[in-house]
Amino acid sequence: MLKPDQTAAVDPADPALGLISWQRVALLLAVGLTAVLLPLALAGKDYFWVNILTYTYLFAGLAVAWNIIAGFGGQFSLGHGVFFAIGAYTTARLLLDWQISPWIGVLPGAIACAVIGPLVFLPTFRLKGSFFAIATLAFNEVGFVFANYLDSVTGGPRGLQVPFRAGLIRMTFSDPRAYALVMFAYLATALVVVIVLMRSRLGYYLLAVREDEDAARAAGISVRRVKIRATALSASLTALGGGLFAMYVRTIDPLTLFSLPDVGVKFALLSLIGGIGTITGPVLGAFLIIPLESYFRATLGGAGPGVHLILVGLFMLLAALFMRRGVAGAIDHLWQYWQHRRRR
Amino acid sequence: MDNVLHILVVGLLVGGIYGLVAIGLNLIFGVIRIVNFAHGELVMLGMYGAYLCYVTLGLDPYLSVLLVVPAMFVVGVVVHRLILQPLHAESSMQIFATFGLLILFQNVVLALTRGEGYSVPSKLAGLTIAVGDIRVTVSRLVIFAAVTLAAIALHLFLQRTLIGKSIRAVTQDRQAAQLMGINVERTFVITFGIGSALAGLAGVLLAPIYTLAPGIGGNFVLAAFAVVVLGGLGSVAGAYFGGLIVGLVEAFAGFYIDPELKQAIWFLIFLAVLVIRPTGLFGQVGAEEIGFREQG
Repeated sequence: MLKPDQTAAVDPADPALGLISWQRVALLLAVGLTAVLLPLALAGKDYFWVNILTYTYLFAGLAVAWNIIAGFGGQFSLGHGVFFAIGAYTTARLLLDWQISPWIGVLPGAIACAVIGPLVFLPTFRLKGSFFAIATLAFNEVGFVFANYLDSVTGGPRGLQVPFRAGLIRMTFSDPRAYALVMFAYLATALVVVIVLMRSRLGYYLLAVREDEDAARAAGISVRRVKIRATALSASLTALGGGLFAMYVRTIDPLTLFSLPDVGVKFALLSLIGGIGTITGPVLGAFLIIPLESYFRATLGGAGPGVHLILVGLFMLLAALFMRRGVAGAIDHLWQYWQHRRRR
Repeated sequence: MDNVLHILVVGLLVGGIYGLVAIGLNLIFGVIRIVNFAHGELVMLGMYGAYLCYVTLGLDPYLSVLLVVPAMFVVGVVVHRLILQPLHAESSMQIFATFGLLILFQNVVLALTRGEGYSVPSKLAGLTIAVGDIRVTVSRLVIFAAVTLAAIALHLFLQRTLIGKSIRAVTQDRQAAQLMGINVERTFVITFGIGSALAGLAGVLLAPIYTLAPGIGGNFVLAAFAVVVLGGLGSVAGAYFGGLIVGLVEAFAGFYIDPELKQAIWFLIFLAVLVIRPTGLFGQVGAEEIGFREQG
């Protein structure tokens, strides 16, 4: 079954269960975000690292969003590329056609995905585990085909280009550090949303549904409504990230937006490697994988095609074999070991 | 009328390719419950195996079946023992691991070939046979014959042999099978080996038709996923007929609606099947849920 192990879910130290006070949550969040922001200050004007950090923040936020329905809800979606693309196309289209500022332009896509997400997932919620994963994978492929086909909306295979005209209102900056800050704000937003969610009634319901659907139903939880709400949240946050992505890269085409290894499956990989179903896991995963990948690409790009990806593939296999609960799980394990020793 | 017949033939031949790729995938999916994302890469390795046999030994791809298919069985056994078996209780990590394998295989081949496209010539494959107005190449007919034979052989293997029976027993109820003295882990290893060998067979037979590229597996494997779900989890007949149905839908939709939308149409059909009858057209009702529950 696609879910983290049961003992992790009932661990009283798990912030997902909301057993720590609000003050500590706020403190942890503040410390965590400062730690995350620190590399940007260190990178300074070194744009190679600023670019890597920008991607890291964005994908950390996207993985956090994915984790809402997949990690906490146990619905292992591989179709989030669709929401990502909807967000990207809407934002770019609104700016190109109606000169609507992306600061506002990212919202319609997010709102649309809050409706579209549950609509497309609704028929598949009955499916479990791998079946749900494959069905959502199919959504991604359907999305790809239609994005190529609907030339007038998406620009077809050539995609859409947002011309470079710097300006705060157009969310186009000549200093790349500004983009990093925007992505950082996105990550912070996603984290706050998840923390609030997981301390709310809906968060508890979501965990109950993941652990045992029948038992949750017997306890009076509307399983379907819980999944719909979590999907809406997850999908709209993903669309938000897609819109920001469009403004950062300024050229979007179906091949990039619906790419499985770079988008749809990436969210899952980052969360899995960090620790699926935990609040910090997706962020840890992104901070491990995205810089590593970018660094390999930059340093080994000359060694021949594909060499850096060989390392990424090997790393993934080793991570799967030796860190079953991801980085968050490994840290948790060490922490408990330490506590255990201290007690003796 | 001529058109219809023509599309029918084209669809069936394309469906044969999907079916051949899907049979191995379905065996692995149905028995071990692993979504093997690297299956397309196993097909790709089979294609490059045929190329290697051609370059070093001068073998015709149809002869290299004898070498590549056993080699791919070994590859499958090694992959399962080293990577998938240690992760047997964690299906999300298995998805993750097979995706890692996909990236690894693709890029090892990319690095070795430096992105050059190869082709594997075969004297036999280029020939065409004409029946009335319809001309078909031998290479595609061979695939159609191979998928038919492979489906029959696999069916007989599962029905008649002791190993086949143990595979079916494990599919139906893992724990009960274990209690009856079946070595479940060994059954899994053999199953993955057979699935991998079938992927290798598909690769070798596809080698004369397509230009070899490291990413080529993706072209077949997404269709094969659709076939698996359409046909039914773990059902040999399901993979065979599912493959033909997907091929036919693709051909007819490509002709009558829009060739650009043909994939979207079979994916929509696939989604419809998933929702209406998750067990697929030939699958046993409830099989998809029991299997997963057992694993949890």
